[in-house]
Parts: sequence; structure tokens; C-alpha cells
Amino acid sequence: MSQPKEARTPLSRRSFLRFSAFSGGAALLAACGGATTAPTADGTTAPGATAAPAAAAPPTIAASGGQVTIEWANGWSSAVTQEVLPLIVAEFETANPNIKIQYENPGPTDGYAEGILTRIAGGNPPDIFYMTSTPTEYAARGSLVDISDYMSTAKTAKPDAFFPGPLASCQWQGKTYALPTSAGASAVYTNVQLFKDKGLASDRASLPATWDDAKRISKELTISDGSTITQAGLVPFIGNNWMYPVWMALNGGQLFDVAANKYTVDSENNVQWLDYWVRWLDELYGGNLEALSTAGNWDDAYPDSQFALGKQAMVHTGSWVTTDAQIPFEFEVAKMPVGPGGSKSVTAFYPNWFGIPKGAKHPDEAFLFIEFLATTGWQTWYKFIMDTPAWRGFPPDVLPTKLVEDVGEPKAKDYNTFFAEYLNDSIPMWNSPVESFAQETLNTAVGEVMNKVKSPKAALAEVQAACQARLDEVLKTAA
Amino acid sequence: MQSISPAPAAQTIRRKQLGQDLRAYLFLAPWIFSLLVFTAYPMLSSFYYSLTRYTILNPPVWIGLDNFVTMFTRDQLYWTAVWNTIYFTIFSVPLSLAVALGLALLLNQRAVGIGVYRTIYYLPALVPAVAGTLLFVVLLDPRNGLVNTVLGSLGLPEPGWLRSAAWSKPGLILLSIWAGTGGSMLIFLAGLKDVPASLLEAALIDGAGPWQRFRYVILPLLTPVLYFNLIIGIINSFQVFGPVFIATVVRGLGPLNSLLMYMQLIYRNAFNQFNMGYASAMALVLFVVLVALTLLLVRTSRYWVFYEGEKRA
Repeated sequence: MSQPKEARTPLSRRSFLRFSAFSGGAALLAACGGATTAPTADGTTAPGATAAPAAAAPPTIAASGGQVTIEWANGWSSAVTQEVLPLIVAEFETANPNIKIQYENPGPTDGYAEGILTRIAGGNPPDIFYMTSTPTEYAARGSLVDISDYMSTAKTAKPDAFFPGPLASCQWQGKTYALPTSAGASAVYTNVQLFKDKGLASDRASLPATWDDAKRISKELTISDGSTITQAGLVPFIGNNWMYPVWMALNGGQLFDVAANKYTVDSENNVQWLDYWVRWLDELYGGNLEALSTAGNWDDAYPDSQFALGKQAMVHTGSWVTTDAQIPFEFEVAKMPVGPGGSKSVTAFYPNWFGIPKGAKHPDEAFLFIEFLATTGWQTWYKFIMDTPAWRGFPPDVLPTKLVEDVGEPKAKDYNTFFAEYLNDSIPMWNSPVESFAQETLNTAVGEVMNKVKSPKAALAEVQAACQARLDEVLKTAA
Repeated sequence: MQSISPAPAAQTIRRKQLGQDLRAYLFLAPWIFSLLVFTAYPMLSSFYYSLTRYTILNPPVWIGLDNFVTMFTRDQLYWTAVWNTIYFTIFSVPLSLAVALGLALLLNQRAVGIGVYRTIYYLPALVPAVAGTLLFVVLLDPRNGLVNTVLGSLGLPEPGWLRSAAWSKPGLILLSIWAGTGGSMLIFLAGLKDVPASLLEAALIDGAGPWQRFRYVILPLLTPVLYFNLIIGIINSFQVFGPVFIATVVRGLGPLNSLLMYMQLIYRNAFNQFNMGYASAMALVLFVVLVALTLLLVRTSRYWVFYEGEKRA
């Protein structure tokens, strides 16, 4: 749904992107363009038009021998991306001397998402853009070029070259509309010293494999001064709510059945999931979510978090944290624990997606660039940030430089292998045409359950009804 | 019948007037163009979209009043946002005005270095919303924030502030008072400078104390300024967005949608959920409510706003 690595910093680029709304959102709300049917240079019709999506033409780049400049709408602006992106672009331009990449670096921190939407709607899109919503949300509304044909003849970005889960997040009704460059897998990070202090085994094989184990060990590691929790174990119900679908899956449940176009939020497994969390809260943390939240930031591993302060033994988050959070102590990573209704450990993932909007002037060249970004070009990125590649052909010996310096090459390789292999067990997610709505609705419901405002069953039933209704509405008019 | 032609002098005057008018319109043209293209047209478009299902990426489809029906009868978040926004407005506007007026009265004193104080008290108005909000996130941190540290040292309860459903809106109101009083304070200060010294002296001679001079001389003469600040304050508070967005989306604060404000819900629908038609309907309702409130204030102003030299029956 966004760029994971940066997204988890206290005030990340992605946050700034979102924040940008306030500077222009209200005006754009009223001002963004109406229905457009602008024809484009490639003969397609801009989104907003009623014409059927044009089939992607086979690549013809460089055949003309002329110079082509493609515009890349870059949504990244952090210090590290400012350093990385020129390197990636330079590598691509060296390999493809007929193609020049025009992009802003840093990308705009204000109004990026709104700007892209209005540009697509206005028939003046860039050739490539970084997506702030899932590809399915754009694809279902007919605003992305189908790249299936490109992939079938691609050198590296062939359909079977990616981990299935991340690639599926780019597909809608059997066609592929974007490529995932990364797909940071989720895992449980542990503070090795806190485990040792308590006499608990801290090696990966001994870390909690089930929810019962995780709860039991968390209880052992939790310290309260009578009224306030001063040290905790795993607190899965605070923070990283993008991982809710994997907690459902760990218990045999599912958020959305893409094949049937049906939400399955209110299944018994999912109700059991939230019931379990409520008991977890009650048994370990005094049953009061607000009091627990007030006692500290239990939501991630970044510098102001309880985990980073050495006051939380376990946290669930994504692979990028390995380099991004600069965890100041020895840590271990482990697979997500399995719930009573589940059968195996599975992982969530959080991709960066790139697509070609309908109306792009140079879709052939644009595909070459996103292919490069999502495959060989990601090596440069990965040397800076441990954002697990979605490409299966990624060389295993490419490691984040800083991580090697910090933990040594063997451990860095171990982390690298762990996340790459874990992606084979990724769940289907980020695959609904109403993903953003569903996320917001589910977040509200989980908050209500954990704050004892509603029962799991009632809350999830409401989510189910709302999401299915919204989905049905979108499907009626889907492209 | 003999026609009477206009006198040459009159023609010259009319021609000169026409020339002046044309020049005036020429200078006004950029503003009029901007008004029509960037304000009037979007407003009319938004009105149209409010009656459609419009994703931005697809052509709008006419659905009549469905968006309004959904808004008023099915969308629970809508009423949450309405309640939060009204709560915020009811408390933040009067408190901000009172604080701004109090500061203006203090800064209207003759004192050494008063200009420095005026600058200092105005500075928060210049702080960007991001910085100001993040500052308050730190100040209001339940564990380590300065506010709770002081409250704790006084033996007072230490609220969860932005991490608490019950205290998040008071926390936001504190932020809005801090950030929003600078501008109002300056306007009040300008109003205070306009209070005739002769009236204050007359009141003083008549034996009026400080409170009586404020209540019966200063405050009535400040009512035009108060009236202006009140209208602007209400409009701004109904449209609060930046601090809320940063606190909730960026920092994950405001549990149970306790900080979900009307503008944020509009934004969420428009740009996160591809639901621009519904967002436009929400914007239209907000517009109507603000116009109604402003008209109400205009209508009632004759009873409580006084202008110097004004005579009333």
C-alpha cells in the first residue's frame, strides 16, 4: 500500500504525503476535474472515459532508435531515497541509452496522491507512478494499463518471477496492472537480552510458534508496577494494523475472498481471533487498552517505541525495520505465531507498487523501467534498506551494507534468507477494489472491540456488511 | 421634432467615465478570472458531483440524493465526525477568543519591551501546523510530557490526552488555542488601539473602575472586532484539518475516532476511498451549515455589535 521502509518512521515520507492533504485537499476536493475523455498519443482513452481499456501493445522501444523521455512520478522524498534514486536511474539509463527518466527528487511532500489522481482524471498522467493505493483500486476503476502482455515477453519480470502473494496484489480479474518492487514480509522481532534475563530461550527455533506460546511468554516478560505496565511482551492489538489480515489468516480466517469477490470478515475464525485478543488484553495487560496505550508506544520498533527503549520483548512489524529502525540491541526475528484455528505460520507483506496509468505517452518504455525497478534495479535499493524484494530471482548475496556492518555478514545473510523464504508463505492481501475503505472500517471495528465498545461478533458483522456493500457498489461499475 | 443632442461636455465626461471603468475592470480581470475559474467553477462542479457517484477516475454517474441519504441515515462515521467537529467548535472558539482578548488587553499596556512580548505571543501563529502539532504531541505525552509532569507535581490527575478517547479533543482544543490566538489577538489589539482615550478618561472621571471601563466602554467598542473574529473562528474550526490529520494519521492518536473531524472524513472519502461524489455532498452540507451560521450571526449582530457613533432607535 505504500513504501514500507519509510512508512514506519515517526514522521515518514509517506506520512508527509498523507499530511499533504491539508494544504490542498479541500481545494482539490472541489476543483479536481470532471469526466474526461481525453484521447492520448497512444490512442488509448484517459480514465474517466467510457471507452474500453486498450490492450497493451507489445514492447516496441528502441526500435525507432530515437530518444524517449519518460516521466516518473516519484512519491519518495526521504534522505535515503534521495541518495538511492539517482543511482537506480543512472543504472537504468546506462543500460537503456535511448530512454531518459524525468523525475523529481525528492518527490513532492505535498499533494502527491491527490495530484496523481487529478492528473490521471485530467488525461495528463505521468508514464509511471508510485501508488499510494493498491493497484486493484486503480485497476477496478479502469485507470491502469494492463501489463500482462508485457510480462509474457519480458526478460526478467515474467509472471512466475515474483512471489505469488505480492504479484497477486497487482492483479484484478486475471490481469496484471502493476509490479511490486518490494514486499517487506512481516515477522515478530524479539529483544534477545530481555529473553535471556528471564531465562528464556532466545534462538529463533525456540520463539513462540503459537498464540498460546506467545501469550504465555509475553506474560512472563510483562512487568507492572501495580497500576501501569512498564514492560510488555507482544502487544499485537496496538499498531501495525495493516497486519490484521495476517492475524486472521494465522487463525484460519480471511479478510477478502478475491476469487468469489466476497468479504469474509465475520467468519467464526475471525471472531475467535478478536476474542483471543480481548482475552490477551485482559489476562496480561489489565484489560484496559487506553491505560496500556497511555503507558507507552507499543506499536513498532522505531526509536520512540517501548521496544526500542528495551521495555518490550516482542513486536510484530515488517522486514524494513531491520535496517530502518536502527534497533540499538541484539534482536532476533521469528515467524508469526499460529492461532488455535490455524495450521501454519504465514506472513503479511507491504509492497511498493509501480504502474502505468492509462493515457501514458510511452507505456513500452515505462514498462521497461518498472521491470528494472522491480527486478535487477532493486539491488541498489536493497543495499540501503532491507525491504524484501518481490522478485524471486533476486541475488541472495546482495545485502544491506549497514546491516552487514552492524550485525556481521552471517547474521545479515540469515535475516535475508529468513524474510525471502518467508515470502513463500505470504497470504493473499491488498487485493480488493475497496481496500482503503475496508482497512479504515476494520481499524475502527478492532478499536471498538479492544476498547470494549462492541463484541467481536457484532463489530465484525458490521464490517462485513459495510465492506460487502461498498464492494458490490464498486463492482457494478468496475472496469 | 428637433432632437436634442447631448452637450459635448457631457459626452466627454461619459467617455472619460467609461475609460475609467474599463481600466478598473482590466485591473480586476485577473481576480475575476480567478474567482470564476478557481472558486465558482469548482463550487458548481462540487455541487453537481454531490448528486453523482464519482470516483475521480471514472465519469460521474447521476444518483440523485443517494449520497445525502447515505450521509444522514447510514454512515455512522458521519455523525461521529459531526459530533467531534461541533464539540471542537463549541469549546475552541469561545476559549480562543477569550484568551486572545485577554492577551490583547495585557499587550495593550504601556511597558518596556512590549513589542517583544507582542512578537512572542504572535509567534505560535507562524509555526507550521506540522511543527505545532508535533510539539503538542510531545507536550501532551501522557508519560513524559511537560503538561502531565506539571499536573503530576501538583498532585492533579494526569490525563491520557491525545491517546485517550475522552481527553483527545480537549488536547486538540489546547493546541488550537495555542496556535490560533495569535491572529485574533492582533486584531483585538488593533481594536483596542481604536478605543478613544477620551471615553476612557470620561469613564475614569466618572469613577469607573477597571472592570467597569472594560465592561461598559471597551467591550462594546470591541464588538465589531469580536464579531469578525467570531465568524472567522467558527468557519476555521469547522474546517480544522491539519493538526487532526497529523495527530491521527501520522501519529496514530485519537482512539475510537475521537479526533475524526468533518474535513478529515471528506478527505478520506475523496482521496483515500475514491468516493468524491460522497465527499462533495459532505462538502456541500458543510458549506450550507457555515452559510447558515454566518447569516445567523449577521442577523443577530444588530443586537450586540456596536459601532462608534452609531445611533439606534
